[in-house]
Amino acid sequence: MTLTDVMSNSGLAGYAVVAMILFMAVFVAIVLRIFAPWRKREMDEASRLPLDDGDDARARPGVKR
Amino acid sequence: MSAQLESFTYDDAIARKFLIATWLWGLVGMTVGLLIALQLVLPGLNLGPWLTFGRLRPLHTNAVVFAFAGNAFFCGAYYSTQRLLKTRMFSDTLSNLHFWGWQAIIVAAALTLPGGFTQAKEYAELEWPIDIGIAVVWVVFAVNFFATIARRRERHLYVAIWFYIASILTVAILHIFNNLSVPAGFLKSYPIYAGVQDAFMQWWYGHNAVAFFLTTPFLGLMYYFMPKAAERPVYSYRLSILHFWSLVFMYIWAGPHHLHYTALPEWASTLGMIFSVMLWMPSWGGMVNGLLTLRGAWHKVVEDPVLKFFVVAVTAYGMATFEGPMLSVKSVNALAHYTDWIIAHVHTGALGWNGFLTFGMIYWLLPRLFQTKLFSQKLAEVHFWLALFGMVLYVTSIYTAGLTQGLMWRAFDETGRLAFPDFIETTMRLMPMYWTRALGGLLYVSGVVLCGHNILMTWRARPARYAEPVVQAPPLPRGYAREPGAAAPAGAWKRFTSLGWHRRWEGLPLTFTVMTALAVIVASLFEILPTFLIRSNVPTIAAVKPYTPLELAGRDLYIREGCFNCHSQMIRPLRPETERYGEYSKPGEFVYDHPFLWGSRRIGPDLAREGGRYPDLWHVRHMEKPRSITPKSIMPAYPGLLTTPLDFAGIQAKVDAMAMLGVPYGEAVNRAPEMARAQAREVAARIVEQGDRRRLEDKEITALIAYLQRLGTDIKKGGAGAQAPAAMSAAPAGAR
Repeated sequence: MTLTDVMSNSGLAGYAVVAMILFMAVFVAIVLRIFAPWRKREMDEASRLPLDDGDDARARPGVKR
Repeated sequence: MSAQLESFTYDDAIARKFLIATWLWGLVGMTVGLLIALQLVLPGLNLGPWLTFGRLRPLHTNAVVFAFAGNAFFCGAYYSTQRLLKTRMFSDTLSNLHFWGWQAIIVAAALTLPGGFTQAKEYAELEWPIDIGIAVVWVVFAVNFFATIARRRERHLYVAIWFYIASILTVAILHIFNNLSVPAGFLKSYPIYAGVQDAFMQWWYGHNAVAFFLTTPFLGLMYYFMPKAAERPVYSYRLSILHFWSLVFMYIWAGPHHLHYTALPEWASTLGMIFSVMLWMPSWGGMVNGLLTLRGAWHKVVEDPVLKFFVVAVTAYGMATFEGPMLSVKSVNALAHYTDWIIAHVHTGALGWNGFLTFGMIYWLLPRLFQTKLFSQKLAEVHFWLALFGMVLYVTSIYTAGLTQGLMWRAFDETGRLAFPDFIETTMRLMPMYWTRALGGLLYVSGVVLCGHNILMTWRARPARYAEPVVQAPPLPRGYAREPGAAAPAGAWKRFTSLGWHRRWEGLPLTFTVMTALAVIVASLFEILPTFLIRSNVPTIAAVKPYTPLELAGRDLYIREGCFNCHSQMIRPLRPETERYGEYSKPGEFVYDHPFLWGSRRIGPDLAREGGRYPDLWHVRHMEKPRSITPKSIMPAYPGLLTTPLDFAGIQAKVDAMAMLGVPYGEAVNRAPEMARAQAREVAARIVEQGDRRRLEDKEITALIAYLQRLGTDIKKGGAGAQAPAAMSAAPAGAR
């Protein structure tokens, strides 16, 4: 008996719904987590990372260190 | 936390190298694109055997995807990663190995593709030795990248880095699984998958090559360079996180929308459609996030060519990602598939999103990498307008062409017959649009030339020695530490949502990478494996037999010349198609097709039922001088097929490789060349009988004709009810 036999005969169709519920639950958890109000400060800090990369003085043409 | 500062410098030399390579390969790839656009209106430009459309089209796509966009991603990633992580790249040697290795692969592609060495899978054409090279270079890049993350001085991984990680990881997975094949000589191989399964793997790969080579890396670049250029943080960092997780999870499912109404099982096609429509949401979340980053900075767009490029790039991303889900809806796809509409769609993405983002990034980087002023702001402005007009001309004309041809193919007259039964009529109608497209392409390429001048002149004004500014930052403490002074939140729910655990994850790139991999792989498990492992998905047909050795050799010529770039072999079960081409294609007809050759564009008619449609002599004349048969044909001529001797001795290796893949070849595994010669004599005798005196029995043309005459004929031999029940015999193909 091969894996193909097992898969072909095990009637897996119903599991699609299970998968959908799992995926939905993960999605909702991610949304809740991201938009939790007490994370705002942390998110704002993270969003400033590109602007704070240490060598911005050089970034302006003509300004040399 | 230690306040001790560490000093370090960034490696910008590597970003400079990748920037130059980006421009150079961009010019090459787009010039080849212009050439093949012209070949469609002036077929005389097909300078055989090396410079025909069928061989150059993969060169164009590979050059712009992997050489132009690839180098652009690397350029931006090396520049931004070091700064976001506050550390130099882990190893300059690995960075340079990555650079030179990647350029070597591009050169290998540029040499082998015109030579006709191809796996016949879109965006995965390169043959197995080059594929191994790609894997090695990718590992070098990955090692360097992850080791850099491990040595970073910034705890939080900025979202751009997430996009880079997802790209590096997923491209590796896609590349390896789609390219699993059995070599049949140096630069020749057959994929281990056949027919439906090969098609499924290919478009799982093909769609995600777009997703993880052209979308996620460039979103990473957008999330870094857009805020830099606008000098303000991204509009919503939260939205960018949601954008990330939704994209990496959903994209991987969408591949089957490339195979609507084909022999793919319908559940897979529907699943692909649904996930594609869902993708619209995160994609537009990303677009809105990019555009709103300019809040309060729109006045700068007027003066700054960099921002102009970025605005068009993000807008094009929005348009392409609206259109993608729309095209994946089956009823829309029934019209659009096989037409130029798809070509217009990808060029909105490639010219608009990838091109504009890349050029904006180049203009932003030039003064910083070469430590001088940009040579000419004005020239950059001219480049912008040339590129914009070029893109709009290109895209609108090709949309029109796609709709026109799609509607003509399905038009019926009042008597219920096809309104345009001659395929060539539908081709001729496109010529004005094709000329306009070539003009648009010319404008776009002219912009790239101007960019080259700007790069050259800026480079010439560079300082004698590049300054290496020393940057200082404290090292990260070992292990995860809560911010000083912050107390642990009380209560399990608070702890969960305060995301200490998520911060910990982000601090551990390994765990983060595993979670990303999981998000990507879960789709493969639920969507791909059932097609391989559940028999009812590919019902076998008893009458379908393997190709004879000569036909197999002919099929390889079909692959060598890239015929699949213009001719599909997949008749959809739609009335206009069955009227025009014959009985629709069944999954069981392709079980010996390593690789599948369904094609994705009908520049010429479908060939799935070509066998027996015309006499052998018709094919001889048609290959030699297509326009002697169809006066307005735009097909390249292949006179070389009538003079080049067929490599009979080499057929044995092909048959052996196929037999190794489980194709039941019987006695052919011992005497393939003799069997091929015998069949070639029969074909040649028929050609003489039909009136051409030339001796063609040892020429390539006999093999190609043998193959073409076999196409789609097996199910007719089996008599009525040839479709056997699923359980009659195990599918011989597939990876078990």
